[in-house]
Amino acid sequence: MPPELADSHVSPAARAAHLWGRLHGFGPVVGLLLLCLVGTLLNPDFATLDNTLNVLQRTAFIGIIAVGMCFVIISGGIDLSVGSMAALIAGCVIMVMNKAGAGMGAGPTVVALGMLVALLLGAVFGLIHGLLITKGRIEPFIVTLGTLGIFRAYLTYFADGGALTLDNALADLYSPVYYGSLLGVPFPVWMLVAVAIAGGFILNRTAYGRYVQAIGSNEQVARYAAVDVDRVKILTYMLLGLCVGIATLLYVPRLGSASPTTGLLWELEAIASVIVGGTALRGGAGSVAGTVVGAILLSVISNILNLTSIISVYLNAAVQGFVIIIVAFLQRGRR
Amino acid sequence: MSTFNRRRALGVLSLAAMLSMTFMATPASAQKKEVLGVAIPAATHSFTAGIVYWANEAKKELEKANPNLQVIVKTAANASEQANQLQDLVTVNKITSLVVFPFESAALTKPVAQVKAKGIYVTVVDRGLTDTSAQDAYVSGDNTAFGKIPAEYIAKALSGKGNIVALRGIPTTLDNERMDAFNAVLKNHPDIKLLDAKHANWNRDDAFKVTQDFLTRFKQIDAIWAADDDMAVGVLKAIEQAKRKDIKLVFGGAGAKGAIKTLIDGSNPLIQANVSYSPRFMYDAIKLTAEARLKDQKLPATTIIPSVLITKANAKDFYFPNSPF
Amino acid sequence: MSLTVAFQKLSKNFGPVRVLHEVSFELAPGRVTGLLGENGAGKSTLMKILAGYETATEGGFAIDGQPLRFTSSREAEHAGVVLIHQEFNLAEDLTVAQNIFLGHERRRGWLLDDDNMNAAAREVLQQVGLTLSPTTRVRQLIVAEKQLVEIAKALSRKARLLVMDEPTATLTPTETERLFALIAQLKAQGVSIIYISHKLDEVERITDEVVVMRDGRFITRAPTASLNRHQMANLMVGRELSDLYPPKTPTPPPAAAALLQVRDFSVPGWAREVSFEVRAGEILGFAGLVGAGRTELFEGLLGLRPASGGAVTLVGRALHLRNPRDAADEGITYLSEDRKGKGLHVNFGLRQNLTLMNLAQYARPVLSPAREHAALVQAVEDFGIRTGDLQQKASALSGGNQQKLALAKVLQPQPRVVVLDEPTRGVDVGAKRDIYFLIQRLAQAGQAVIVISSELVELIGLCHRVAVMRAGRLTATLQDDMLTEEALIAHATGTR
Repeated sequence: MPPELADSHVSPAARAAHLWGRLHGFGPVVGLLLLCLVGTLLNPDFATLDNTLNVLQRTAFIGIIAVGMCFVIISGGIDLSVGSMAALIAGCVIMVMNKAGAGMGAGPTVVALGMLVALLLGAVFGLIHGLLITKGRIEPFIVTLGTLGIFRAYLTYFADGGALTLDNALADLYSPVYYGSLLGVPFPVWMLVAVAIAGGFILNRTAYGRYVQAIGSNEQVARYAAVDVDRVKILTYMLLGLCVGIATLLYVPRLGSASPTTGLLWELEAIASVIVGGTALRGGAGSVAGTVVGAILLSVISNILNLTSIISVYLNAAVQGFVIIIVAFLQRGRR
Repeated sequence: MSTFNRRRALGVLSLAAMLSMTFMATPASAQKKEVLGVAIPAATHSFTAGIVYWANEAKKELEKANPNLQVIVKTAANASEQANQLQDLVTVNKITSLVVFPFESAALTKPVAQVKAKGIYVTVVDRGLTDTSAQDAYVSGDNTAFGKIPAEYIAKALSGKGNIVALRGIPTTLDNERMDAFNAVLKNHPDIKLLDAKHANWNRDDAFKVTQDFLTRFKQIDAIWAADDDMAVGVLKAIEQAKRKDIKLVFGGAGAKGAIKTLIDGSNPLIQANVSYSPRFMYDAIKLTAEARLKDQKLPATTIIPSVLITKANAKDFYFPNSPF
Repeated sequence: MSLTVAFQKLSKNFGPVRVLHEVSFELAPGRVTGLLGENGAGKSTLMKILAGYETATEGGFAIDGQPLRFTSSREAEHAGVVLIHQEFNLAEDLTVAQNIFLGHERRRGWLLDDDNMNAAAREVLQQVGLTLSPTTRVRQLIVAEKQLVEIAKALSRKARLLVMDEPTATLTPTETERLFALIAQLKAQGVSIIYISHKLDEVERITDEVVVMRDGRFITRAPTASLNRHQMANLMVGRELSDLYPPKTPTPPPAAAALLQVRDFSVPGWAREVSFEVRAGEILGFAGLVGAGRTELFEGLLGLRPASGGAVTLVGRALHLRNPRDAADEGITYLSEDRKGKGLHVNFGLRQNLTLMNLAQYARPVLSPAREHAALVQAVEDFGIRTGDLQQKASALSGGNQQKLALAKVLQPQPRVVVLDEPTRGVDVGAKRDIYFLIQRLAQAGQAVIVISSELVELIGLCHRVAVMRAGRLTATLQDDMLTEEALIAHATGTR
């Protein structure tokens, strides 16, 4: 029996409720559209292709991390360390590339090596989180609060408190990864799209994705239903680590440096993107598409503020706070 | 504003004069045992890393030159930790003099006052206390010049006419002082238009984003005051990406190692000058205090380490490849 | 001092299911009344309505001739009606005294008067025979002590009508004796007591009269002295068993090889050196009182609890099950007694619930919602799940249909051995019958079915053999003529 037939039994009231539920799901999209309208009215340059690509390009880091964060939050967890993790990975990538570049000369191999290191480190850090949380039975909040400090401290230590900078020749070779574009669209934007599509697919069309939702919705029920809860959780933190790795391998060529301020507060931006995008902080259900919209929405706010001078610069953070609360209000009670 | 008027009134020593005084390492002081405590913030970003570096440099040199001088360096991650360290320095290490870079002005005024009440000689660095009676001497960088020098340089480079934008740090009194000084100079150049100034938090990434948006918003920009060498990195990348040719000048600030190197090498035509605000004043403050104490002298109540214009000509004097900053 | 309670055509619906049908009867003041009935007969629901935790859908009750309707337990307590829950209602991290006075704190001005409350708590604790300090945290108490604290809490509310729901389920004989003495004392003080218990010997001993309920209806009220235990049981069951249960298939011969064999299996704190076996096509029951360790035994077997010692073999091959995933891979699945907490994702759709245990079969590697949907359509038909909309959430189903969905879920991986823990708990009679016939079909198809149940008649009507557990030990395995309610009770309570 196709679903359409099943639906035909539904009362009109139930169908109306269904429709309303769907509309609620578009809360972040509605918020984003309204914000774009405001932006265009305030500054005509807002709606230009260049600015749009700028915003999307700078959203890429947070957006990619937020996709991974979306999985962690749906599974009922949290990761506060992603900003520090990104900074440490960036630092390690730079050190490894500088060293390899000094040894074998600047070439595409060194760049590829650096990118590989980023992915590998992300996965390893995620694995460590996952093991501490599942086998070590420590709350994810505490585990990642701990690594939040550890990761950044190690970067600061490696950088002697200053900045780690990629050698010029390597930086030139690597920079197209951030600044290059395909069909007029910058690589990071393509990457964000690819990660989002892959994320949505994994969440909704694989057994693993279903398990993530099942664990977040009720971990006990999932455990009793023969879901290997520990394995799924570990994979989830590794997936997030991998996303941080991808974000970092795009980030390094942008400035070619990592400093103790790299990735500061990214964790809060990523978590805010996920929640604004309609995922409940308590887990169980959520949307990758919504998460990406949430991430774009957050960077559009600061973009609009930079493009205008109507609000005191001291109030920028307040505007962001207001918008987050309004959008959350628009999509409340979805579950 | 009254603070820097007073500072000026108290007299600005020239860097050279001060250094010559400090380097007169002195055989005359050989009798007295002196324990100097140094309390500074931990190295969480490159500027504070520089502070830590220079404090340790001073310790090394001074202890080598003066066998009866002990220097104890403590770094703190927050204000309350620093307050605890001050107590420890007094009770455990029995210091006879203290050089402190307060984590926060207000929060540390009382703890420092208590140290001074024990008869210990106190030199406060950079961030002034809210009650100046809690200190014997005050050594600081010159935030007014930090804003004034770039403004004057930009005005001159643009021949008194053009559009500029500015980046600001984290909203603090320090940042306000610099911005006020910058604006004060611009008042004399009515044809230079400051289009906008936004906070980028002394952060490369934020500076990149803010500059991107400035470039979208303003079609003609002649110069950018990045106000910090870290922020200048982000500014330059954003300009490069947008392939904008209208900008002739990017003025950073503080004289970080990388920025000075660029200046020396002449590797970026947009970078033509800088203004010094080196964490090296930590070195100077420790050295001045130690030398004075060993000779039972006092420091002037206020010593401003002047911020000076750095150009390609004098850049070598400000290049310390071993410092993290 | 005493209260007279009269129920007047009281009916209660949970969603579409009517659980109480026009119940009318009176309770005499100052007496101990035994309230009898099978699980699901509606006793607890009726008492919850009386104590203000639920409200009647139709009809109601009068106290001392005055029609009343409590909207909260507080109102009921104000009128002197206090219910001691079967499940504890204690805040684990508060002290005993704080729990006793929760919501009724004594104050001195703006401040809590802890000294006063601790002293008063000590007094009521003494009455129930607990010597522990009122400042002990409830978390540190053992189950029996918690039960006594619940009773002490009720006493502190100056109850005039006290409802006790299975108060002795977790108590030792000594504690039970003390409770009986307390009940006698309260009765002498004029407190009316309603005593709910499955232990008919207790009912016989301490009640003055009994009220029997069945399938949500009032059946009879009689002086306790006029009935013997057997008559009580008959009144509770009240129907020909053949109506409800499918005809039994012949018991597999004892010589037949065991499918699942468990030897000397222990779950620390719950089950000790338990041995049993189950054959293909056999329905094996597990009887026992609450806390006898039945659920915990099987949770241990499935790797959900730490287990120690013992050997588990499936068709002669040794198994090491670390978690339910291992078990499912070996063909053993378990339906939890806790449907909402462990059985179903009530916020998930029906389809997502159904396929969760063998999702891999629908993902190669991409999930196919169409095939999942086909499986759901099939399950709805096979299991008689009544639902208007296949897209709705599991929470929208009635209890019985949720239970059928949960059953369908644990049977999805087509296990060789399936353990069903309280498969008919909270399910109406119609759905119960469906579930019994379904279990029968599974056995006929050659699966081994283990049924854990607290309803003795259900075990007798359904199972080939019934294992009885008491205090963590397997005390007997009964079959054929030996399988009677008396025998089960005797082995479960250790009175034989």
